[in-house]
Amino acid sequence: MIRSEPSFQGYHRADGSIGVRNHMLVLSVGGLTIPTARRIAASIKGAVIVGFPYNAGSLLGEDRATWKRAMFAIPIHPNVGGVLLIGDNPPLTAEVAAHVEKAGRPHAALTLDDCGHDAVTLTERGMRAAARLAMRISFDKRAPAPLTALTLGLECGRSDPSSGLVSNPLLGRMADRMVDAGGRAIIGETVEWLGAEHLLEKRAAAPDVAKAIHDAVRRREETAIRNGLDLTGNNPGPTNIAAGLSSIEEKALGNIAKSGSRPIQGVLAYGEAAPKPGCWVMDAPAYASESLTGFTAAHAQLMLFTTGVGNSFVSALAPTLKVSANPETCARVGEQLDLDASRVFLGTETPEAAADRLWQRLLEVAEGAATWGEILGEGDEVVARYGPAM
Amino acid sequence: MDAIRLSPDDNVATLLRAAKRGERLDIGDGASVEAIEDIPLCHKVALAALQPGDRILKYGETIGEATAPIRPGAHVHVHNLKSLRARAR
Repeated sequence: MIRSEPSFQGYHRADGSIGVRNHMLVLSVGGLTIPTARRIAASIKGAVIVGFPYNAGSLLGEDRATWKRAMFAIPIHPNVGGVLLIGDNPPLTAEVAAHVEKAGRPHAALTLDDCGHDAVTLTERGMRAAARLAMRISFDKRAPAPLTALTLGLECGRSDPSSGLVSNPLLGRMADRMVDAGGRAIIGETVEWLGAEHLLEKRAAAPDVAKAIHDAVRRREETAIRNGLDLTGNNPGPTNIAAGLSSIEEKALGNIAKSGSRPIQGVLAYGEAAPKPGCWVMDAPAYASESLTGFTAAHAQLMLFTTGVGNSFVSALAPTLKVSANPETCARVGEQLDLDASRVFLGTETPEAAADRLWQRLLEVAEGAATWGEILGEGDEVVARYGPAM
Repeated sequence: MDAIRLSPDDNVATLLRAAKRGERLDIGDGASVEAIEDIPLCHKVALAALQPGDRILKYGETIGEATAPIRPGAHVHVHNLKSLRARAR
């Protein structure tokens, strides 16, 4: 007898990963070619652009490591069907292209140097190359895939107390379901563990994981102290404070509810993929654009993102479902929220019923149903920067 | 219920609707508190009298300390609550 495992229809990649989208990606390897990448992407229906605004050769230390991790990961994200790499640095562009080739992902690479340093020529040649890739990947078909192939990124932004009360615990239920199905779930935003780290440490799968969580929090806290930064006004930010969050501890206690209740397998570096199934935490900046890109680089195919007062930002590559439980927000930003959880806040829907609705919606989106962010063309990827450059 | 106390130890509750001064707020389990000032949706109301330095508890966990005397029914926010974290020691 064939046992029926939970599954969804996804795109099977040559490297074994499974995508929930089949994006034609135009990726600018350096900053000088981002405007050209924008022109090319705007000319190819449905193409997505991601730009790395820095010269990787000038980056130092943690920035160099982060850049490399993200640059090698993003063009072979499971949701990418084909990628056009353009850049201003031929060796670097070739290095990334070789990595993409190894993964077996359809691609083409062009540099300004190949085009007489003329952006117009690069635009024309890039358009033709991207069009050919788009045609090629249009033949790709979805096929059944196990939920174990999925990584879920969990984010919150422009939070209010309804986030900690209802929406983040709802995401926690999604994290638990994903982990129980054999998939991966990741939360980041290290500064938003301050005051709640003891609860994360208690869930650590091993003593060294608890210590890594503790150390990551101490590093962020000491950085704030060293820089004379009063977190109140920064995180919680002005919008959080206006909405009723009074301290980082209060925000953090709500934030970590997103991670659910399963054991925490480890602390990931920014953009680092989870090496095995389960719940993971990523030591990363809290700002939504940088945080989501950390999950994208870790090959999260889907994001769940709660908001208190509203937050339009989504990942460019991973469909991002927005959730709010604040009744005023749900009434105001209907074309932003993929799930209205305000009835849980008002006590007329059980959290379990809302969790069933959100899980169903997540699986529909995994199989191609659109998020509001996709329909409205929101979406970007922003790789975090830490220090000075040459 | 007008405001929710997330843990029995908590000395604040979160408003599930905006409150006007003088309104009695049902906080569940037959308990209530009278708002002594207007408090917006999702903001916090004090359930007990607090002195400067007292820990403020929500989710059964410390979310900061009182920086001024706080009366039951008062709005608890950044004007009378301070984070204990990322402070120079």
